[in-house]
Parts: sequence; C-alpha cells; structure tokens
Amino acid sequence: MISLQSITKPCPLHFRPKKSFKRTPKTLTPDRCLLQYNRKPQLAGETPRVVVITSGKGGVGKTTTTANIGLSLARLGFSAVAIDADVGLRNLDLLLGLENRVNYTVVEVLNGDCRLDQALVRDKRWSNFELLCISKPRSKLPLGFGGKALIWLVEALKNREEGAPDFIIIDCPAGIDAGFITAITPANEAVLVTTPDITSLRDADRVTGLLECDGIRDIKMIVNRVRTDMIKGEDMMSVLDVQEMLGLPLLGVIPEDSEVIRSTNRGYPLVLNKPPALAGLAFEQAAWRLVEQDSMKAVMVEEEPKKRGFFSFFGG
Amino acid sequence: MASIWTVRFHAAALLPVRSLSDEVQLRPELRMVSDCMSWNRRVACRKFVVKAVESDDDRRLPNDVVVIGKSDEDNAGKSQQNVATKLQESIGSLPVFVFSIRKLSGMNFTIGLCIVATMLVVVVRGYTTRKSSYSSPGSVADLVRRGQLRSDRRGISTPLKYEDPFNNPMIKVSKSNSTVEMAGKVYRLAPVTLTDELQTIHQKRRSRAYQWKRPTIFLKEGESIPPDVDPDTVRWIPANHPFATTSSDIDEDLAQNNVYQKHGVPFRIQAEHEALQRKLEALQNEQKLSKLVIDPAAARDFERPLKSHMKSENQVEHNTSNPKSGSNTPPSSHIGNPFGNKPSSEEMQNP
Repeated sequence: MISLQSITKPCPLHFRPKKSFKRTPKTLTPDRCLLQYNRKPQLAGETPRVVVITSGKGGVGKTTTTANIGLSLARLGFSAVAIDADVGLRNLDLLLGLENRVNYTVVEVLNGDCRLDQALVRDKRWSNFELLCISKPRSKLPLGFGGKALIWLVEALKNREEGAPDFIIIDCPAGIDAGFITAITPANEAVLVTTPDITSLRDADRVTGLLECDGIRDIKMIVNRVRTDMIKGEDMMSVLDVQEMLGLPLLGVIPEDSEVIRSTNRGYPLVLNKPPALAGLAFEQAAWRLVEQDSMKAVMVEEEPKKRGFFSFFGG
Repeated sequence: MASIWTVRFHAAALLPVRSLSDEVQLRPELRMVSDCMSWNRRVACRKFVVKAVESDDDRRLPNDVVVIGKSDEDNAGKSQQNVATKLQESIGSLPVFVFSIRKLSGMNFTIGLCIVATMLVVVVRGYTTRKSSYSSPGSVADLVRRGQLRSDRRGISTPLKYEDPFNNPMIKVSKSNSTVEMAGKVYRLAPVTLTDELQTIHQKRRSRAYQWKRPTIFLKEGESIPPDVDPDTVRWIPANHPFATTSSDIDEDLAQNNVYQKHGVPFRIQAEHEALQRKLEALQNEQKLSKLVIDPAAARDFERPLKSHMKSENQVEHNTSNPKSGSNTPPSSHIGNPFGNKPSSEEMQNP
C-alpha cells in the first residue's frame, strides 16, 4: 500500500503459483525508500486522461474503486469526471450519495432533452468532482452509437468552457458484453480490479487480453480485498502471486475492510472518512500513483508481530 | 498520639505484669491464635509496656486489679471472660505488632512497598495494553487515540494541506526497509519482481490466447449482415436484451450535435416547443376564421393550461361570492362530479 522506489532483480517466471504462497524477501530488499505522501502529486501524461476501471468478474469492487479514486483525485486537487457506464446496473451514484440528484443521463443528452452540463452532477463535498450516468436503470442504451457517444462525451468535456477535466474515469460494467465494449472505447489507460482468487484472476487475464487487443497498453491492476492474515496462513494468494499470474504493474493493494460496506451503505466514500479507514488510505495511495503514472515497487506481504523491547512493559 | 497508644495498650500490657497466673494461661492461647508473633516482638512489646505504664497515670492500675480479681472470683464465667480477654488481647496486641515492624524494619517495609507498587503498575499496564490491543487491534480509532494519526487533517470541509513536512504519522518504515508499520501493525515488505521482460512475455501470451476484434456493428438477432461488414466484427444483441437496444429513434449527427451543445435550449425541448407553438398558432388562426369549428382533440391538448386557469378563476369567483364557505369547501359543481373540471371543458367546447 505504500510506494517504494527500489532496485530489484528479476526472478524466474512461474505462471502457476506453487503450493507455498510465501516468498522470502531476505535477498531482495529495497535499497531506497521514498514514501510518496504529504506532497501534491505531479500530473503525468496528457489531459484529460481517460481511465477505464474494469475487471471482468462482477463484485470485485470496480464501482467502489471508481468512487474512491475519483474523490481522491478531487481531494488531491485535480478535476475529475466519473462516468457510470454500467448501463443496466448503475450504482456509482449510490456509492457517492448522489442518487437523488441524477435527473438527466447521457441518453437524455443524446436525445436532446438536456445539455451535457445539465447532466453532469457536481459533488457538493468536492466541487471538482462530477458524476455522469449513462442511462437510467430502466431505460435501454441504443448501441448503434454507444461507443461513439462516449467518444463524443470525452470530446465535449475537453472543449467545455470551464476547461477540460484532468481525469475522466469510466466505471465499466462486468463481463465482456456490449457494455464493456462501449465503456472501453474512449479509454487510453485501464485499471484492472481483481481479488486474489482464481475466478477473478482468470476473468482479469481475459479482460486484459481484450484491452490489449483493443489497443489499450497502459494497464495497471489493483488487488482488492487482500487479507494478510489469510496470506500468512497460506489460504490466500499473495499480491506477488497475483502479479506473477497476470504480469501487470501494481497500482494499489486494498486490504479487506469492514468500513467499505459501511461507507457504501452511507453513500459516503471511504476516502472522506474521518478518521480514515485503512482501505481508504490505500485507495488514496493508488490515486496518487495514478496521477504520477507510477506503480508499486514493494508490497506488504504479511503481518509480523510487533517487536517489543526489553523495557517495553515500562513503555519503552 | 502517644497517650492514645498507651491507653489502648494498657489492658493487654498489664496482664503479664500484674497477674502471673493469668499470664501463664493466656499467653500460650494468644500464641496459638497468632503464630506469627515472635519472641523478639514479645520482648519488644514488654519493653514498650513498661514504658507505657510508666508514662501513664496510676489511676487505672487499681481498676485493672479489681477487674482481674473479679475474674478470679467468678469461676463460672471464666470461659466467657477468657474469650473476652483473648479478644481484648488480640485487639490490643495488633497495634503493638505494627508498631514493632515500623520500628525495627521500617526501611525494609518501604522497599517492599515499592516493589509491590512496581509490580502492580506492570500488571495493570500489561492488562490495559492487552485489553486495548484485543479490543481494537491496530484500528484507526486506536491510532487516533494513541496520537499516531492526526485525524483532524481529514474531513469534508478541510482539504489536505501539502505544506506539511514529509512526515506521515500513519506509516513508519524500518531502517532496513524490510518492514513497514502501518496502522499499528507491522508488515513485512517484499519487492515487486515484475520486470519489463516479464510484462512483454505476458502480453505475447495473451495476444496468442485471445484473438479479438472490436465489434464495429451491433445487430439484433435475426437481422441480416450488411454486405460490407466483416462478420467477425458483428456483435449480436438479443431482441429482449434488458439494457441494450440496437434501434434508436435519433440520427447520429443530431446526437453528436446534442452532445456538443454548450448553450441554449436543448434540441428536443426547442423542437417540441416550436411544434407546440406552430400548432397553437394554427389553432388560433382557425379559431379566428371559424370559431365554431374546432377540433375537439386538438383543443383538449392545447387548452389544458387554459382550463386550469379557468378553473382557478371559477374557484376565485366561488370564494368571492361565498366567503363564509372557506377554502376547504369545494364548489358545488365539483362535489357530485368525480372528474372534477370536466363540465367546464364541455362548456368551453360547446358554448
């Protein structure tokens, strides 16, 4: 969950994980450590950066990631527009607590019932964050120009009077159906959300293949719902095992946190929690790396018992 | 203070001095009751007794003698008196014991007290730390409570301040960079082993495994493929797809213009408004030409606001003509009519 700049040596590839998921890092320790915190991140790449957040499998946390990374970017001082491209099952408005303010969607914009700026819902907590929903839950998206419509939207956002947003984040629906094809159309880079289980990994690998076939080369992954206690007990694949299977750079590692469900139900993203939750901190770090187009150089693999000094019982 | 001590010690201290017979009988019993008392303490006690008696007044001596004499004479109540004297002795001897400890081993007692207090502190501290770590191990609330996390830096209204020095209280990395302490827990760090070569290998593997062409056209199942379209790029959408449809009632260029529109009234709203305007103008023209010939369907469409206006006027008229009825009482024409303002429209249509 933290970013470390290190010089590492490559190790031979093992595509399938071995029985033991543990790894011994004694020989490979980071030489230099740089915590990227308490500093405004430097925006890399051309704006607006169009990022699609996808997974393949459902329920791994795409929408949660979109909401939290979007609001993290807004907190970091960048303007962001989140597009909920999950046509039939849109939930991003719920996670952001903006469900009562969505009156118009992209379908209405296309039909000419409203302008684009009327369909954008500005978050009152962080005014440089806006939400745009593709369609209402019970309406159908005309697929004749579904992908093209998103490209028009990106162009329109680029050319709007108040300036182009720094980030356009697209919440992709699950699966590789028409909704997925529509959502990835305008994207330049992708964030693949996966959980450390084999079902999610297989889908993630397939989706990565489709993204690469579609010309999206900048793909990073977020490993969600990681439990270090299960990794220690060798009941869960470690993040390094996941990376070994997918071969993608890591944008973030999100620990399992009960606060996620609570924040989802409240419509209040984790990153706005006070005090911050662990998963919220990890999302914030991931957003940080997304801004700087950085990736993780070291990961936390397991929990160690805290070493206590001889006089620890005196408070030492 | 000394006088109090002497008064309290008096009865017990006199016994061995004044009546030897009782002394012989009572002292072993006392010793059996409290074995912890040693002979040295007894000696010290006697010395103290002597001093106390000397310091005290002589009035109580005869009384004590009288009491002892009475106890000698009363053989029947001897056992009861023995119990009473035993209790008296035990009560009386207790401060002597404490006093002797204080006198002889005052330093030892102080040291012992310190040791006990230290042990108590260690136990209490261990208990509290264990309890706190058990209840909320490494939670953020725990961190805030311990002062490792400045919770006031986050919130809805106050943005993060980046002028802060490079000091994150949440994360502490060890000197060897092998562990990181985050949220009160220590995690082992492992470097990422992915290299560009490995990434390329994975990309090649995927490009071999997944041959995919982006669908360029969406067709409903049952439709025929256009002649100039590659069949591999067709995505078939079921006719009853819940979210997606291939049919659209709007032109592509028009949709693009709608998306790009920045100012003014949206296209459809404007078009509907203009259509209504045209229709209304046409209607008015027709009304001007021949007021009696009005299409009833068109009138029902366009005169809705007029109807409500007239209805409100009617209500106003009713209210003004009958001010006592109040606003809650509906007009008499509406009471028996479930369709509300239908008669008025009929009146309008058939003047």
